[in-house]
Amino acid sequence: MKDRKSKFLKLVTFLSERMPIQKLSFESMVTKKEVPVHRMSWAYYMGGLTLLFFLIQLGTGVFLLFYYQPTVSDAHASVEYITYFVNSGFLIRNLHTWSSSCMILCLLAHMITTFAMKAFARPREITWLSGTMLLILTFAFGFTGYLLPWHQIAVNATKVVLQSIEEAGHYLPGILSTLPSYIKEIIQGEASVGQATLSRFYALHVVILPLLFLATLGSHVLSVQLHGMSQGVDTPSKKAERFFPFFILKDFWLWGVAFLIVFILALCLPFESFYAYPLFEAYDALGSTPEGIKPEWYFYFLYYPLEILPFWMVMLGMTLSGIGLFLTPWIFKNTSRKALSIIALMITAYLIIITLFGQNIYDMFKGTTP
Amino acid sequence: MFDSFLFIGLPYVAIVFLLVGSIIRYKLRAFSYSSLSTQFLENRWLAWASLPWHFGITLILLGHVLAFACPGIWSALVSIPTFLTMVEALGILSSLLCLISLMVLLIRRFVDAKLQAVTSHLDVLVLLILFFQVFSGLMVALHHRWGAAWAPGALGPYIHSIFTFKPDASFVKEMPPFVKIHIASAWVLILLFPLTRLVHALALPFHYFFRSPQKVVWNNTRSQIRFEQRIESENERRLFLKAAFGTTASAALLSLGALDKFLGYFLKQDLTNAEEAHLLSKKLQRLKQSAEERELELERMSKDSIFVANLSDLSSAKGKYFIDYEMRPALAFRDGQGLPIVLSAKCTHLGCTVGQDVDNQGRILCPCHISYFDIKTGQPNTGAPAKAPLPHLGWVLKDSQGHELLAQDPDGRREGAINSSQLENSLLFIVKRFS
Repeated sequence: MKDRKSKFLKLVTFLSERMPIQKLSFESMVTKKEVPVHRMSWAYYMGGLTLLFFLIQLGTGVFLLFYYQPTVSDAHASVEYITYFVNSGFLIRNLHTWSSSCMILCLLAHMITTFAMKAFARPREITWLSGTMLLILTFAFGFTGYLLPWHQIAVNATKVVLQSIEEAGHYLPGILSTLPSYIKEIIQGEASVGQATLSRFYALHVVILPLLFLATLGSHVLSVQLHGMSQGVDTPSKKAERFFPFFILKDFWLWGVAFLIVFILALCLPFESFYAYPLFEAYDALGSTPEGIKPEWYFYFLYYPLEILPFWMVMLGMTLSGIGLFLTPWIFKNTSRKALSIIALMITAYLIIITLFGQNIYDMFKGTTP
Repeated sequence: MFDSFLFIGLPYVAIVFLLVGSIIRYKLRAFSYSSLSTQFLENRWLAWASLPWHFGITLILLGHVLAFACPGIWSALVSIPTFLTMVEALGILSSLLCLISLMVLLIRRFVDAKLQAVTSHLDVLVLLILFFQVFSGLMVALHHRWGAAWAPGALGPYIHSIFTFKPDASFVKEMPPFVKIHIASAWVLILLFPLTRLVHALALPFHYFFRSPQKVVWNNTRSQIRFEQRIESENERRLFLKAAFGTTASAALLSLGALDKFLGYFLKQDLTNAEEAHLLSKKLQRLKQSAEERELELERMSKDSIFVANLSDLSSAKGKYFIDYEMRPALAFRDGQGLPIVLSAKCTHLGCTVGQDVDNQGRILCPCHISYFDIKTGQPNTGAPAKAPLPHLGWVLKDSQGHELLAQDPDGRREGAINSSQLENSLLFIVKRFS
């Protein structure tokens, strides 16, 4: 009995250190909050920038809902209608696609810099965990949203991904081997990617994921405000800047610039101009799959290894790094920021190289010419 | 006669007086060449009046000068409707701003005891004439719309004639009363210029921009510290106010621009008849396509055999797509002996639909991850991502009366027989018993 009580007490102390609600006051979260000034200070803006792009997604997403029709026969036509006939419809849609990419870019930068700055260390473990959840949710947003326009590349890429899930079953022992195909069936909803899949993805993309995201985001931002900014460098910087009004105004300034850039991009450059048109024709269930089916660029880090390396190797790597991501605060508890920066740089280098030169590396391995 | 005095005599008197008076005043009493500041006596009202007044009047004067100095450029500009609307709106807003600030400036002259001690009759007169002048200008703008467009043509020649010493007031004499009043009182203002505080317009402290900054230092340490603290907190407040104002203003601008775009999003779309018809036909076609797919599904549930093609229509170079009993894509070819080859088109790697064109080695390609499949055996090429062969489907050949001639199950076992003339006219089916 006594033992149990002390365990309970331990849990309470653990949680109260991670969620110091005694600091839940306007004074400590706004007027007294300070942001350290040092050579990595720019990284403190990354999270806010991600939030901006999420807000743009939320706004433009709601706009798109007014015209989008989630049925196999109408989806593609309704997206085309938005693009060509609704006033400023192309702008809303381009903003949604451009800002989704920007959101993922900022999110990755945010995650890598917080890692390098050891902002996950005690007492900020929960902040890191909720951030990781947000990363997964954002990828889920990207994956589900990709299917909705129901064009060739969308449906076929989704097919490939779902089939890959089933593939993982071959590497699992015993009864577990049927698990992936169950998961696939749950996601897909019918024998092949069709109306059931579209409905599921739609529900996920516009209702379930946003709700989950907002809840997680709330906890994430609250814990950031409760703990204050982490010191970020090994020798704490003496200089600091008041969060309010200085940091927050700079943050808003940056938001303005970022919005302007995305707005101009959305106005001038359709995201789809990076691909050949046939990929954006309506999905044809009876025809051959067109060439050049690929996921969005932010899945290249997973896609190209899958193309080049044996399946089991990639699966193992991804599982391990997924677990590693969640356990980061405990694995790297005693690592210096210098070592963390080196790891972060290596991860960044991998992501940049595989995203920019993945196709070239693939051609090199396969001996095909593009 | 009176008109001639107002629009020819008065202008010359005013201009001469302006030139001579300004020079004499500068020569004799250079230190009076400014407007006597009352900022130390009363600052709260002044801050809200002086600044807007100067903003407003500068804008208005700029408009007047541009319109009369470069009538060609100006006329070209105001022929753009948007620009004209903007200029008019800006002018009216500025004059309202000026009127309100002049009112405040007047009131403070009368309600503040300290100010009354330094206020001269001329100060009040200047304020009153300025008020009258701006008010008459506003009346012109409101009663005779689009002054920015008509004034350069209607009044430009008059101004020009005054300065080229060939005075011609015939145009102005025909003008409506508000315009005449506005012009006449402008000349009065110019006349008063060298006598009043208005001369400060000639004494612009441009060197303030270039001189090195001055710092006020207390010689008493405690006062110095207190002073610095006050300056710091004031600076902080000012910075915050500035930034907050900037953010609010830009947010307002942004929402204005965004609203312009986004409100349209919910308006009715402007489609031509042809576009509407095109859209509708496209929609119908998609609906038909969906309906056809459903029909295929129903057909596969209810029928024992499904027609694929006339055997004579099949070729060995290009497959024909159809949908098998599991609603998956499949391909039908014809081999060298004239018999059908029927196999699944769903790639055994990750489920893409395999292409229909046969290459010179008798293979078809899955474009997703580059696997080649031999159509005879279904086997993928060595090293392909796909490991398993494309499965063959069972098929049946029937004659036109529907009699089964030859059947083959998925494993390649055949039953029945067929001769070459029957072969040419036979029809290819897939059947439920083989699936």
